[in-house]
Amino acid sequence: MKYVIIGSGAAGVNAAEIIKKNDSKGEVVIFGDERFFPYNRYQLTDFLCDSIQQEELFYISPEFFKNIGVEFRKGQYVKAINPEKKSIRLFHNEVVYYDRLLIATGGRPWLGPVLLPYKKHIRRYYSLKDICVLKKKLPHIRKCIVFGEGLSSLDLLCGLNKSGKEVTYIVKGVKPEWPLVDPELCEELCQLQKKEGIKIITEDRITTIEKEGKHFRVLTLKQRELTADIVFAWDNYKPKISCIKGTGIEKKTGILVNEHLETSVEGIYAAGDCVEIYHPGLKNYWINYGWPNAIEQGEIAGLNMTGQEKTYQVHETIEFNLMGKSLKARWWK
Amino acid sequence: MKYGELSIRFCGIAGDGIVSSGKILAAACAGIGLQVMVNDIYSAEIRGSGKSTTTVRFAADKVHSMGDGIDLLVGMAAKESIAEVKDVKHDGTVIYDSGTPGDIEEESSLAAHIPPEIHGCCIPLERLANEASGTNRGRNLVAVGALCFIYSLPPDMFINQIKAVFSRKGEKIVETNIKAFRLGYLYCEEHYPLNHEFEIKEGAEPRRLISGNEALHKGALDCGLHFFAGYPITPATKIMELAAKELPKLDGWCIQVEDEIAAISAVVGASFAGKRAMTATSGPGLCLMSEMINLAVMAEIPAVIVNVQRGGPSTGLPTKVEQGDLNIALYGASGDSPRVVMAPTDSEDCYSGIQLALDLAEKYQTPVIFLSDLFLGQRYETADIKEEIDRRRCTRKKPTPEQLEDYLRYRVTDDGVSPLIVPGERGAIYTITGLEHTVKGTPNYEAEVHTIMTAKRHRKFESMKSELPRADILGDKDAQIGIAGWGSTIGAILEGMGIARKQGVKSKLIKSIMIHPQHESSFREFFASCKRIIVPEMNYQGQYAALLKTRYCIEPIEIHIPAVDPVSPGKISEKIMEAHHELSK
Repeated sequence: MKYVIIGSGAAGVNAAEIIKKNDSKGEVVIFGDERFFPYNRYQLTDFLCDSIQQEELFYISPEFFKNIGVEFRKGQYVKAINPEKKSIRLFHNEVVYYDRLLIATGGRPWLGPVLLPYKKHIRRYYSLKDICVLKKKLPHIRKCIVFGEGLSSLDLLCGLNKSGKEVTYIVKGVKPEWPLVDPELCEELCQLQKKEGIKIITEDRITTIEKEGKHFRVLTLKQRELTADIVFAWDNYKPKISCIKGTGIEKKTGILVNEHLETSVEGIYAAGDCVEIYHPGLKNYWINYGWPNAIEQGEIAGLNMTGQEKTYQVHETIEFNLMGKSLKARWWK
Repeated sequence: MKYGELSIRFCGIAGDGIVSSGKILAAACAGIGLQVMVNDIYSAEIRGSGKSTTTVRFAADKVHSMGDGIDLLVGMAAKESIAEVKDVKHDGTVIYDSGTPGDIEEESSLAAHIPPEIHGCCIPLERLANEASGTNRGRNLVAVGALCFIYSLPPDMFINQIKAVFSRKGEKIVETNIKAFRLGYLYCEEHYPLNHEFEIKEGAEPRRLISGNEALHKGALDCGLHFFAGYPITPATKIMELAAKELPKLDGWCIQVEDEIAAISAVVGASFAGKRAMTATSGPGLCLMSEMINLAVMAEIPAVIVNVQRGGPSTGLPTKVEQGDLNIALYGASGDSPRVVMAPTDSEDCYSGIQLALDLAEKYQTPVIFLSDLFLGQRYETADIKEEIDRRRCTRKKPTPEQLEDYLRYRVTDDGVSPLIVPGERGAIYTITGLEHTVKGTPNYEAEVHTIMTAKRHRKFESMKSELPRADILGDKDAQIGIAGWGSTIGAILEGMGIARKQGVKSKLIKSIMIHPQHESSFREFFASCKRIIVPEMNYQGQYAALLKTRYCIEPIEIHIPAVDPVSPGKISEKIMEAHHELSK
């Protein structure tokens, strides 16, 4: 049996380990589109602020995959899946066949139609690669603009602030809000940010970004004109599922899976930030972002791929750190 | 990650621009004062699109060998490059093309063979080349641009080189190649910010790149070479090509003849007529030349035979290196047939060594076999060669007017060297023959004559020994581990010694361009000062070790590497460490 896993985040790595434990003779190949060994994404800001070294980000040793008998191919991007031929196609046109496939491609910040034309002026803050680039630029940066919601904006604001940068945060709403975070907590976070010197602009959005010499001129919907040395912006955080195009795998924003994490195409499973799973409370599909969920989904998908029948149980809360404070967000209600 | 030295390999097939990529990289590095060594490996077949690789190693300090492993593999042809991945160092990088059309099966995919401890850089080489030039030509320069960014090298060093290489093809070609370079650079800047940095010392003077074959040719010309005859053979052909171009400008001659027998015959003939003459060949050619070399020994005619060794026996491995021709050089003849055998160790040695070879041949009226090898002959390296026109240090011993009255071509002398004049000159009427002969040159088979003449021919070598310089001793003079090496293996030995030294183990090396005869007291003193002696060489039999064992009664640790690739310094250091552990017991 050949198992192919697309994505080397928490879900993919855990699935690979579980599969190998349950089917020691099975061949497991895991593809990661980043050029690094799996790392703790939630510690990237610590790395940016030099609180930890790059090596401390990696939560497995370089020998891990060799030791468990899994072939790890890093820096290799899967561009298409062919369910009929049970194969995947890589960026460089290599075709790899599978018997069981797991899609664990995660999510990423997206630019909408307003921001997309200014892509080349916008700095991403998502992957270790982004942080490596940012670390080089950081000493030459004084003024930063951040536009975007989601938990990663909290992380970024924290990192920039800790690095002593002058930060302006633009939000569309009447006040900063972050998904999954209680309104009271959002308010507390907002006050904390203001106290830390972060300038918050509400009920506005970036409409134009122009390069002027070494700086950027940013125009907003409400005719504000701002300047910055660097601009971080995104419209939303979405599952990264371009590889399923043309496969017939059912999707909404993310890949739709059943409680066994199997997609609408037999033999293809999905786990982590790229999936939408039915939420009985909401009576709708729901993307359950987050590290602990990804780990558990990876394990369950892995078990099911080896022929077992495990059901995914929802979780209530997730913990994360912000500016040294431990925060709890509710995931399921 | 900071690098003080880098080894970069381009791998592809004919038409991928592998060699030109290596040349641009090497020349760019030499241009900013770095020390460089370049090694090309290609298939033996002339037709078709065989695999070829070029490896460029560069550093601020002298590069003696190709080192162990490579930091970056540029896989221009996926399938051919798979076998090269094993040489990529841990944390090294592989560049591969994302733009290959059609399906690629896993077994043919370079990406599928990149282990996780190595970085893969998937770059659309073909697409970017097309963007630059409208064709897929220039993929190699996209890759050069990529590696420039990856190791934070200054782009100008490459752009200047691209201009120098392509300027004769016109402005447009220069522009498209620079554009291809820039696109590769920018692509990597966006997608692969690897944080690698090669440390460059500012203000270094540009260095000159030269191959062993080029240095050898240049050295011969500067030492008064007048006549060259040869027949093309890999890896020696370049010497003849250069001679054909340059010798006529100096009123000299270069002829390409029908085979190696004709080549050595022409050389012996030209030398008989009074000209400094040389040929260049490889192992199979040397076999064919052995009869005429023996005639030159018997007739005491100067001749220099360059043998750029390749893998053997027979036609063997035309494009791979080996040091397997020492025995034929030393002993490949009937009878007691002494000849000088020399082996240069680097390009500087090729330049100065061939001059010593020509001088010794002239002074002692003997054939000199000059054993270069494929790795040394073809590799390019930065070398500090101090050129000087006409470096002839000696001429043929002429008869005095009294001696000319009754000229004896093979007059018995104390040093074994008889006065020699060109036939046809006044008083110079004499016979030369392959038969044993009297002092006049007349054939004679009496035992007494043969004994006297054999002794005379060998006495020249005793005389020669007395004027040879002492062998060089390198490394830690007080070390107990000594290494005796020869030819191009010396570079790997020096670096192997450096690796061992970093681990706290001292060693020393005895190095001499002279294989036969040698400055024997240098060797005896060296061996007497060592508790362990290591003799590494690129052949199966241990040909140099056998010579040293017989000559100096030593019992060395022998390293026999029937090589296809240059010797690795790591192998040498391993043996040094083993010897050290034995001594420590």
